[in-house]
Amino acid sequence: MPVWFEGVIPEHNAVRSAVGIFDTSHMGRLLVSGPDAEALLDRLVTNDISRLGPMEGLYTVTCNEHGGIKDDFIIYRLAEDQFFVVPNASNREKDLNWLLEHAKKSDVEVKDVSDDIAMMAIQGPKAEKTLQKIASEPLREIRRFKCKEMTLGKYKALVARTGYTGEDGFEAYLWDTPLSNPSKALDLWEEILSAGKEFGIKPCGLGARDSLRLEAGLSLYGNDIDEETNPFEARLGFVVKLKKRHAFVGREALARVNKEEAERLLVGIRMLDKGIPRHGYEIWKRDRKIGHVTSGGFSPTLNVGIALAYVAREHSELDTEVEIKIRERLAKGKIVKSHPFYDETQYGFKRVKT
Amino acid sequence: MSEEYEIPEGLYYTDDHEWIKVLEDGTVLVGITDYAQKSLHEVVYIELPNVGDKLKQKEVFGSVESVKAVSDLYSPVSGPVEEINEELVDSPEFINSDPYGKGWIVKVAPKNLDEEIENLLNAEQYREHLESLKE
Repeated sequence: MPVWFEGVIPEHNAVRSAVGIFDTSHMGRLLVSGPDAEALLDRLVTNDISRLGPMEGLYTVTCNEHGGIKDDFIIYRLAEDQFFVVPNASNREKDLNWLLEHAKKSDVEVKDVSDDIAMMAIQGPKAEKTLQKIASEPLREIRRFKCKEMTLGKYKALVARTGYTGEDGFEAYLWDTPLSNPSKALDLWEEILSAGKEFGIKPCGLGARDSLRLEAGLSLYGNDIDEETNPFEARLGFVVKLKKRHAFVGREALARVNKEEAERLLVGIRMLDKGIPRHGYEIWKRDRKIGHVTSGGFSPTLNVGIALAYVAREHSELDTEVEIKIRERLAKGKIVKSHPFYDETQYGFKRVKT
Repeated sequence: MSEEYEIPEGLYYTDDHEWIKVLEDGTVLVGITDYAQKSLHEVVYIELPNVGDKLKQKEVFGSVESVKAVSDLYSPVSGPVEEINEELVDSPEFINSDPYGKGWIVKVAPKNLDEEIENLLNAEQYREHLESLKE
């Protein structure tokens, strides 16, 4: 995926106002199957896999023994004992080895199918109308985080109502499309572009993918979360089910962390002055450094610089004014609601009736 | 590479990709080149000096910030700022859409233009400079 096709801002705006398509085949795709698949996954992730019905997905993190986040991803249950895991590209090998290591003693097969399945995301308020034109099943019936097998154009695909933009939309997995022969994926890509033409669909690059997820307040692994951060300080406590049936790696550490108050929290910052906060910039309050930016950029929707940042808990209240060190100067910003940054009555999946 | 970029004749250029246009009254308009705007990509902010500020050749007088990066502006000439392009505050995208026209940044009354122009490049020299960056 290029950084942009036409430009970050027009691509971003196409997704917020209509529809855009992303080639997300860089992500990992792992199939975990067998009688012990559920138990294995449930022992490795923080969310409760047992509550997944067939063709349902959920967002979760997987932690190390200290409660640091090893990865975040969506898991789908395709059948009673078959699961589909979609890790971050950078963690694909790490997750695969982690699963294989824990699968040794159980009746589970773990297969890396990343290079055999093409993946694309169709996102935006017009995503359903676009994709419905070529889909064999009624998309309206697929609720968020649910998925369904169907044909898209001529090809068999798994279609999930998920995404990384904050908008309504779908992620499509095209079976039997090896990297070495992507012709089916290219064909489908063109077909979706034609279907979305009347809505002004745009092919989108990594730049818009990042600005869209940032506006939605979605964490990026390696920036906002990593093995040194725990889910509570990253405000991902909602995916940690300490009381679920299986004990999971990191549970003891997380139970301890949950009782204490986190020293720092991931917050949203909206600039009051000009300037764009970027990864690594320091955050100051009254001559003291109180944190740092983990993801930042220009928000095309709000027309201002925004950031996700870790700040000391005592400065994490909404509306707190802070200063961001942008090169040599201190620029004013304030702490705002970041999940998402935009007004949900105007933008994002909640405005769309699904 | 230089064929991809517009380099108008009659302007003078810096190594840092600013241009000047000498006007009939002896003042100069300053902007950034097509190469600079394409490298920066979508410009979203511009930090301008104030009218009356005294610029010095080769010294920073402002910055442009794009979705990708922030970049300092180096003054091609020395002298006081006579006018700033206030339209850029609300429409910084003019720097991308029309870098040699509506995207001008400041107007300066140069103090030693005859001398300082020796440190600048003409269109052909600037084209060669871009070619050298390719290598």
